[in-house]
Amino acid sequence: MADAASTPGASGSGTRSGSKQSTNPADNYYLARRRTLQVVVSSLLTEAGFESAEKASVETLTEMLQSYISEIGRSAKSYCEHTARTQPTLSDIVVTLVEMGFNVDTLPAYAKRSQRMVITAPPVTNQPVTPKALTAGQNRPHPPHIPSHFPEFPDPHTYIKTPTYREPVSDYQVLREKAASQRRDVERALTRFMAKTGETQSLFKDDVSTFPLIAARPFTIPYLTALLPSELEMQQMEETDSSEQDEQPDTENLALHMSTQALPVGLDSCETGVCDLLAVEPLVSPGGTAHPAPRPQACAPLGQMFRDESGAEKENTSVLQQNPSLAGTRNGEDTIIDNPYLRPVKKPKIRRKKSLS
Amino acid sequence: MNKKKGDKGFESPRKSVVVSLYSRIGFVELTIFPTVTNLNRIKLNSKQCRIYRVRINDLEAAFIYNDPTLEVCHSESKQRNLNYFSNAYAAAVSAVDPDAGNGELCIKVPSELWKHVDELKVLKIHINFSLDQPKGGLHFVVPSVEGSMAERGAHVFSCGYQNSTRFWFPCVDSYSELCTWKLEFTVDAAMVAVSNGDLVETVYTHDMRKKTFHYMLTIPTAASNISLAIGPFEILVDPYMHEVTHFCLPQLLPLLKHTTSYLHEVFEFYEEILTCRYPYSCFKTVFIDEAYVEVAAYASMSIFSTNLLHSAMIIDETPLTRRCLAQSLAQQFFGCFISRMSWSDEWVLKGISGYIYGLWMKKTFGVNEYRHWIKEELDKIVAYELKTGGVLLHPIFGGGKEKDNPASHLHFSIKHPHTLSWEYYTMFQCKAHLVMRLIENRISMEFMLQVFNKLLSLASTASSQKFQSHMWSQMLVSTSGFLKSISNVSGKDIQPLIKQWVDQSGVVKFYGSFAFNRKRNVLELEIKQDYTSPGTQKYVGPLKVTVQELDGSFNHTLQIEENSLKHDIPCHSKSRRNKKKKIPLMNGEEVDMDLSAMDADSPLLWIRIDPDMSVLRKVEFEQADFMWQYQLRYERDVVAQQESILALEKFPTPASRLALTDILEQEQCFYRVRMAACFCLAKIANSMVSTWTGPPAMKSLFTRMFCCKTCPNIVKTNNFMSFQSYFLQKTMPVAMALLRDVHNLCPKEVLTFILDLIKYNDNRKNKFSDNYYRAEMIDALANSVTPAVSVNNEVRTLDNLNPDVRLILEEITRFLNMEKLLPSYRHTITVSCLRAIRVLQKNGHVPSDPTLFKSYAEYGHFVDIRVAALEAVVDYTKVDRSYEELQWLLNMIQTDPVPYVRHKILSMLTKNPPFTKSTESPLCNEALVDQLWKLMNSGTSHDWRLRCGAVDLYFTLFGLSRPSCLPLPELGLVLNLKEKKAVLNPTIIPEVVAGSQEFPGSQDEEEVDMDTVHDSQAFISHHLSMLERPSTPGRRAREHHHHHHHEHKKKKKKHKHKHKHKHKHDSRDKDKEPFAFSSPASGRSVRSPSLSD
Repeated sequence: MADAASTPGASGSGTRSGSKQSTNPADNYYLARRRTLQVVVSSLLTEAGFESAEKASVETLTEMLQSYISEIGRSAKSYCEHTARTQPTLSDIVVTLVEMGFNVDTLPAYAKRSQRMVITAPPVTNQPVTPKALTAGQNRPHPPHIPSHFPEFPDPHTYIKTPTYREPVSDYQVLREKAASQRRDVERALTRFMAKTGETQSLFKDDVSTFPLIAARPFTIPYLTALLPSELEMQQMEETDSSEQDEQPDTENLALHMSTQALPVGLDSCETGVCDLLAVEPLVSPGGTAHPAPRPQACAPLGQMFRDESGAEKENTSVLQQNPSLAGTRNGEDTIIDNPYLRPVKKPKIRRKKSLS
Repeated sequence: MNKKKGDKGFESPRKSVVVSLYSRIGFVELTIFPTVTNLNRIKLNSKQCRIYRVRINDLEAAFIYNDPTLEVCHSESKQRNLNYFSNAYAAAVSAVDPDAGNGELCIKVPSELWKHVDELKVLKIHINFSLDQPKGGLHFVVPSVEGSMAERGAHVFSCGYQNSTRFWFPCVDSYSELCTWKLEFTVDAAMVAVSNGDLVETVYTHDMRKKTFHYMLTIPTAASNISLAIGPFEILVDPYMHEVTHFCLPQLLPLLKHTTSYLHEVFEFYEEILTCRYPYSCFKTVFIDEAYVEVAAYASMSIFSTNLLHSAMIIDETPLTRRCLAQSLAQQFFGCFISRMSWSDEWVLKGISGYIYGLWMKKTFGVNEYRHWIKEELDKIVAYELKTGGVLLHPIFGGGKEKDNPASHLHFSIKHPHTLSWEYYTMFQCKAHLVMRLIENRISMEFMLQVFNKLLSLASTASSQKFQSHMWSQMLVSTSGFLKSISNVSGKDIQPLIKQWVDQSGVVKFYGSFAFNRKRNVLELEIKQDYTSPGTQKYVGPLKVTVQELDGSFNHTLQIEENSLKHDIPCHSKSRRNKKKKIPLMNGEEVDMDLSAMDADSPLLWIRIDPDMSVLRKVEFEQADFMWQYQLRYERDVVAQQESILALEKFPTPASRLALTDILEQEQCFYRVRMAACFCLAKIANSMVSTWTGPPAMKSLFTRMFCCKTCPNIVKTNNFMSFQSYFLQKTMPVAMALLRDVHNLCPKEVLTFILDLIKYNDNRKNKFSDNYYRAEMIDALANSVTPAVSVNNEVRTLDNLNPDVRLILEEITRFLNMEKLLPSYRHTITVSCLRAIRVLQKNGHVPSDPTLFKSYAEYGHFVDIRVAALEAVVDYTKVDRSYEELQWLLNMIQTDPVPYVRHKILSMLTKNPPFTKSTESPLCNEALVDQLWKLMNSGTSHDWRLRCGAVDLYFTLFGLSRPSCLPLPELGLVLNLKEKKAVLNPTIIPEVVAGSQEFPGSQDEEEVDMDTVHDSQAFISHHLSMLERPSTPGRRAREHHHHHHHEHKKKKKKHKHKHKHKHKHDSRDKDKEPFAFSSPASGRSVRSPSLSD
């Protein structure tokens, strides 16, 4: 079932034996693929309103398109391996696209645009012989915007999910118990990890591992950590102020807190990405299938995922918005107040020469 | 007043100080008017400053510098008894006391000006000085991180105990010498210099890298009220009062904004009750790190500890910080604007500022909190006076002889602020405001405020006058002036009150008991006094007694006289509960009571002696347990409730239990009373352990109040919106952990309960931080620890760890580690964890070891953590009698960069001494005596508070006389002879020392009696030549003073030399020690024979 998902760059072209130019099947494969890309570029150019194009420029564009697609594949693979999987899922690709600066929101609309040109299927000589796997059920037909030469949907059993979730745990006691023990576990694991990786102190001379205390480390400016509320607290303050009715399940909330705390809340997109991953994970797992969701089927979760992502983004921006509001408060008032400390510093007068000694 | 002028011989109407902190050089210009014709010497105060040139009216003037306080007793002296030291120290301080016309710096008026002086014309004194590596007076905070000084948040501020301005510039360092000021500070362009008065302008220097701040203070102010703070401060103009500016260190602006948002209300309050505008044209608050004290008030500015800043999420710190703000503002009116005439008038200022601060408390926190505070302060002063033998508010020094020292019970002189123990001074302030309250009781608050208003309006009229009008003395308050004001305004004679509480030390100790005479329907009250114990005095006069009877509450005023012990008080209620009717209380309320508990024959419900606390007293009153219970339930005064709680500890009965539980549940009841009830309930439960029924005390109560309805073992998610329940929620587990079962162990049920509280603690939906709550949970865990059952001194290892302790340790480890990742506000949790670990060590569960604490005590940790860790080390030193740790502590006292921490170690060692004068200890040896002696004799000359702390410790360890561990001198007389010899023949030893140190200026030059210096030019030229000696560059590594602010400038050629010079200078002063005592007041005849005989 692993063959169902495939990297976009490699899809849709089979090898052609007995080619004119070369006897090497691999070369043929690449040539065929490139030709397809060329057709794609040409059709896009036509779509964009070009009548003709120089060969060199078409070649260049082809080269660019090829690199772009390869990069998506490479990057998606990295992301999937990062999460200890071997098969990229839709989310890997989405993350890749986001990472590459692509606005994923526009993709579905683009795919369904009216004036798009349908490219003829690449010349298929002989289909690679794939061992006939056990088929079960009827494969879904392609939706209209997917060319028919693209691979077929995998067997339904690989993606159709049967909602088998348990009755959501609503018992207050259990929830509290769960939240408490989960937090405790996280805290213990985290502190143990810190203790293992750093210097420790111990209360017992003979045993340094049972109750490891992270070594006391003096600060250069001790009052800052002691007085300023931590980012977690600031975030919390924000949350309790703005959304009392926030009814997220405890566990997720906690995961988010832990994650945002563990990582410095920064502006860079990398951090957003990590947040997304965390937000996405629970979406995959409740389905109960460890199987990576194949691409075409993922249309429905796609929208859901974007919603979710924008939610996470909102949360992040709200944290960030808070900082300027805390730090840059005196801008508004300065203009009207006459206070000697706010007056500009005078330039020295020539006359005014103080000798100090 | 006239006397003072005569003493000094001059008055100074104007003064300007220019300090360039860039190079730490500055000059002071004083304008003085001679008031006597034969003024030929002018004495000023100066410490640490290197003075290298003095000019009077542009003529070079000779000067001599002698500071006997640098080394109090001669270093050769073998004397080691504290009496000797205290006398010598008092004499040394007197010898430089500005109020007596003395000073460290003596300037000779050039003979050319004598005529000028005789005509009483103006003299302008110009003093050039430099300040090198100041050890006290100015405190530098320089974090060792990358970046420029401003980026590192480096700052400096002036600090000190009482009049300490002399540490950073030469002046008449007295609260009674007023003058106007012009101050200029040149600092790095990224820094802000905050000082007294109005900032006139800020001007760049020519290279545009520095700025000069020009301040002008037109209100006459004493030098001791001058202050300075420089740092890369963030500036916040108060949104309500634009003339008020707040300063804090970088990054803390949001906290500053929240913390000071309340200040305008304090302003409004004081201005309203005093019907007087704030006297200065501006006010500045500066929040700095490593503060000497939490609050220091100076003219038009206050310096606070940065640790008072807090965010809106912090509950516990908010009232404390507001109190500090209010306190400092009260001192702006009384203390800064109105200054004191002399040291013995200090109580008036402290009293008034403390009193109006109390009024503010009453208005802000309510009458309950106010009365609770008064009671707390009263208990404190009573305990202190009974322990040490009395606090005297208004010492009068008649003949000036040390013989009739009014405070002979103390181990220090109370003649000077600088010889006072810090604890004594704190208690002094406490007593002062309590006495003010007594005066208010006598003359009514209205008159009291009128008196204050009168003082203030006289002072503000005076402050706007020219110096020549001689009005400025109106700005100084004296005891007599204050009393006169009172009698003018109120027409009442408060002399007896003053005599009792101000001119005399001690408190009153009452013992009361009663009997009810049924036949006569009379309450026979017996009130005894103890006036023989130290710290007590006899009280004669009216005493209010309140009797709650069935028919109502009745006040009786008894006259306490010499020999009358018994007082008959007729009762109003004839018959006992004949009808079921409500019982009227003092406040007019009528309540139903269950009267079944009371004595059937008596109509008395409860009796209170001196309910209004109008005597500084301790009352021990005996009444039956049911009376205390009624008092607790139905008396509406929080003080009465607290007293009854305290008394009920002695009555462990189910009835007491019920009364306490009821109070605990009653939401209208003052939260502090409920908190006190928790602890009392725990004690009662322990006394009743064998008969106790039901779940452990308070458990079901806590469950009902704070746990979920559906699952009683889980606490609700935190919601601290109601502060009263918050405080109760914090306290109850701490008290519960004190419960013990029949085996004297903490019941398993309680421990599990507390562990569950910690486990299920959930603060995510809370608007407030739960750091204090969690810290108290750790305190609760620590409270539950009981001594380990140890089998003949086995070594404590992990394997034989008690399973309960293992659970506790698990929590502590996790909390302490989490603090490293998510630090709590003020590291309250770390502090509690450290304390808990010490408790575990002390109880033998964990091997006793100070290493952990020592690492937390290092410089660089937050000060609260350091203090907690040091406390543990101090305790370890005591319990394990460790010489090594004691040395470590003593070393820290000498070398730690933070003055507060050094002071704190000393006071903790004094409170929890490793041994005392009455116990034998292997730690007590000659080397330790010498070490401590050296510490107080010369090691702490830069900080009065520290020196007094060292004296306190010395007293605690060795007592007043010769320490017992010293070998007996062969003959007392020999020692005396030696002493005499050293004093009589001072030149022998000093010359040896001077010679060995190759001091450039020979000893003789320094010792020349001023009267004999006729050729002052020669004297000066000699001094100048000393200064001009070529420096030896590279002699001292630059890094050596890297913690100084503006080191990088090459500007000072003389700097190195000066430094070295100063070093020598100290030793030179040591050499001169023997005549230190002979010089007071007379200021002449250095060669007079010793005073030791």
